[in-house]
Amino acid sequence: MTIEVIKAGMQTSIQDAGRNGYMHLGVAHGGAMDTLSMQLANWLVGNKPEQPLLEVCLLGPTLLFTQAVSIAITGARFELSVVDKNGKAKPVHNDQTIQLKVGDTLHFGKRLQGARAYLAFAAKLDGKATLGSYSSHFLANFGGLHGRAFKAGDIIRLRQCRRCETRKQDNGAQCYSGKYLLRCTDSVETAQFSQAQKDAFYGNSYTVSSASNRMGLRLDGKVLDNLQLAEMVSSGLTQGSVQIPPSGLPIVSSVDGQTIGGYSRIANVISADLFALGQLVAGDQINFAYVTVAQAHDILVKQQS
Amino acid sequence: MTTLSYKLLSNGDAGFTILFDAPVSETLSRQILWLSKYCQQTLVEQLIDVIPAYQSLTLLYRPSADNYRVVEQALQQVLQQPIPQDDYQARSIIIPVCYQGEYAPDLQFVATSCGLSTQEVIALHFAPQYLVHMLGFSPGFLYLGGMAKALSCPRKTIPATSVPAGSVGIGGNQTGIYPQASPGGWHVIGRTPLKLFAPNRTYPCIAQPLDKIIFEAISPQEFVRLSEQPLNETK
Repeated sequence: MTIEVIKAGMQTSIQDAGRNGYMHLGVAHGGAMDTLSMQLANWLVGNKPEQPLLEVCLLGPTLLFTQAVSIAITGARFELSVVDKNGKAKPVHNDQTIQLKVGDTLHFGKRLQGARAYLAFAAKLDGKATLGSYSSHFLANFGGLHGRAFKAGDIIRLRQCRRCETRKQDNGAQCYSGKYLLRCTDSVETAQFSQAQKDAFYGNSYTVSSASNRMGLRLDGKVLDNLQLAEMVSSGLTQGSVQIPPSGLPIVSSVDGQTIGGYSRIANVISADLFALGQLVAGDQINFAYVTVAQAHDILVKQQS
Repeated sequence: MTTLSYKLLSNGDAGFTILFDAPVSETLSRQILWLSKYCQQTLVEQLIDVIPAYQSLTLLYRPSADNYRVVEQALQQVLQQPIPQDDYQARSIIIPVCYQGEYAPDLQFVATSCGLSTQEVIALHFAPQYLVHMLGFSPGFLYLGGMAKALSCPRKTIPATSVPAGSVGIGGNQTGIYPQASPGGWHVIGRTPLKLFAPNRTYPCIAQPLDKIIFEAISPQEFVRLSEQPLNETK
């Protein structure tokens, strides 16, 4: 069966849990930015948590389904509707299984909350993994569908379409309020920053800049001043690293970020909070809070239980 | 052999970075590579990724308190011993570069900043055999050692939002080639038509750590001719 892309949206792409084991070649993990929403979407259609699915960013697509299949949409909230082959429209909702019939068209309307929605199918996406993952790598143009975001007219092929029982998430909906607290541990160069600079970093509110993407989030706000950082020798950079370039405004690395960086890191966002980076929209407010590495591990255990 | 002096630091809740207190050198790179392979072989359950760099090794583990302890202990133990050098047999790889016109937008800036003529910048840049210390930044990017000190030039204060694929840049006392169009903070002094990264090649990159890179100056005409050949698709 196929899905025909009628409208592509801003950056609709195939993602999964990303690729491990290639950072020494410069290939970042990639994959879904909001892994919690990815896992939930797959669960709602009876898939393994990390099965490839669609990541929808800010402006959603319009997709025509040529066969009956169960789907689910999680993450960012959009006004969603399904139009059947006779032109009859009905609203559909996040966080529950949606049963599609032959010829149904799924419309992503106005975005209400959050940045990225995830669309899972009770089916297998056709194609093969590149470097161990289906994730689209926009920078190097591989993985997913031709290594790029969808365009109108693209055809997505699915195999083994199933209809699964309807499931609902019972923990209440995720809320993307536009105000986020990102918890951080120290990073490799934290000791290079003065106490006043660290206090400012944890005390300031930042806003997400529009120059943000899957590589990283640039933040606006009060600059960290009196930076007298040693020009550092480039070293391994991980997801969630908060770098302070000479401008004094933080850059938070994300899934497609550089694997090696040359700017001093003041902090690292903890693993349990990385999913939130996928839901940030330009203008959202960010505050940082310090935790220890041991606390970060505890928080992750609680999140996963 | 003496033990290396180092600092072991947490890199977030899922990583460690070992910073070595030794000058950047081929010997150190061989030691870091040895250590990187050793960790991959002995910490199979814990490690997700390794990132060797000039003077550091970053290890990413599946985040948990247990893995943190296991990896930290293993590192402290191995670092008490002298670190052997990896015995990889290096290759020499020639990379053609056009240092002219549109391919070299920041050449004049680098020349002015270094107090050199543009011809001197070019001559100094393609003279050495560069050592590949590591790969990273973006897929297939080579971090090279051996650039003439006279070419050192501070990174851009505000990184450029997009630099074309194949661009040859200078940032600080480092030089390198951007494998893809990407944001970057280095000054661009030339461009190669070669494809540095192709995920479907058996080994996706053009060189491995410890290989030697030789730049060969080419004309804009040769650049265009070489760009039209599907030359490294099958290499």
